[in-house]
This record gives sequence, C-alpha cells and structure tokens, in this order.
Amino acid sequence: MARIAGVNIPTNKRVTIGLRYIYGIGPTKAEQICQQLEIPAERRVNELSDDEILKIRELIDSEYRVEGDLRREVAMNIKRLMDLGCYRGLRHRRGLPVRGQRTHTNARTRKGKAVAIAGKKKATR
Amino acid sequence: MARSVWKGPFVDGYLLNKADASRASGRNEVIKIWSRRSTILPQFVGLTFGVYNGHKFLPVQVSENMVGHKFGEFSPTRTFTGHSSDKKAKRG
Repeated sequence: MARIAGVNIPTNKRVTIGLRYIYGIGPTKAEQICQQLEIPAERRVNELSDDEILKIRELIDSEYRVEGDLRREVAMNIKRLMDLGCYRGLRHRRGLPVRGQRTHTNARTRKGKAVAIAGKKKATR
Repeated sequence: MARSVWKGPFVDGYLLNKADASRASGRNEVIKIWSRRSTILPQFVGLTFGVYNGHKFLPVQVSENMVGHKFGEFSPTRTFTGHSSDKKAKRG
C-alpha cells in the first residue's frame, strides 16, 4: 500500500492507473508524472521502491493542485458566481444546468431524481 | 469557443462615452443601456448600469469581480417562479 497526497491508497494496479485515484489527476497528468520520473508504464504500484514513491509524492505536492485544495478551489469558483448574481450563479443556486442545456426533458444529473407531479393522471386507453 | 485574445474584449463603443459622461457629471445616475452583449471593463467599476432585459432596466452595480463578464449575465430575461401546487392533488 502506498499513500500519496493524503488519503489515497491506490492498489496493485499500474502506476498510471493507480495515480488516477487521486482527485485532480487523470490520464494525462498520470502519464506526465510517470514520464517525468522515468517510471516504466508496466510498473505496478506495489513494485515501486520507497524512493520512487517519495519522488512521486514530492512532485505532486510541488507541481499539481490536488484533493482538498482543488475541491476548495472549485467550490470557491462556484461560490464567486453565486455571490455575483450573474446568470451562471443563479443556475447553480437553483440546481439547474449551467451551460444552456435543455431542461424540458433530461438534465436529471443536476435536477436529481424525477419527482412525480401530484394528481397527474397516467394516460390510459 | 472562447474569443481570440488579439481582438480584445468586445464592447459597444458608445458605452465608453456614456460611462465617461457619467463620471464627468459626478452624479451617480443609472446609465440605461441596451447592450447586453458588451463585456464589463475595469473602467466601469463603481458605476451603476440599468441593463435592459426586454422589459425593464435592471440596475446593476458593477463590482470588481464582474469584470470580464457580460452585462446580459446580470439581467435575467426570463421569469419562472415555479409550478403552483396542483389543486387536483388536494382533492385526491
């Protein structure tokens, strides 16, 4: 087990895959990290030496915004929009899609699970 | 897609004149504008604009955070107050 950037414990997967378990590191950044430290792509997390783990940890700490910091930044950006009173902020407040998607149907990710309209009759033949 | 940087921010030219005139007059009046598409520039900070939403001029006090947004973002054009609770639901 390896702890990198706080609470993340990627398992016995390849390094490029395991690193993606960290919030803020996806395919591209995982690839970058491995290339920068010259870790071969086939290497698995449990095969890493302590030295390499240390190097990864230091690189992530210094170069990337990750986990709590990143989450805070995203939350701050949304909060800024909401306090500003601009259109995007209003959409965030209402819990509706922000980027102009349709809401007549769909948009269930933002709106949450569908709520039945009380008293509406089902169409019967 | 984002606008090219080399073009600079888009602003309808007459807004600059209006802002200057308002600054010169010294009175803190609401500047009525129709140009919802214009970017808010740093020199507009502190002024109050009445941004037309197709119905009324909504007063928008420009603060530093608003720089870079468009005027239209602060003047919603649609009203939706939510669905009224259904009368049939109470009966049934």
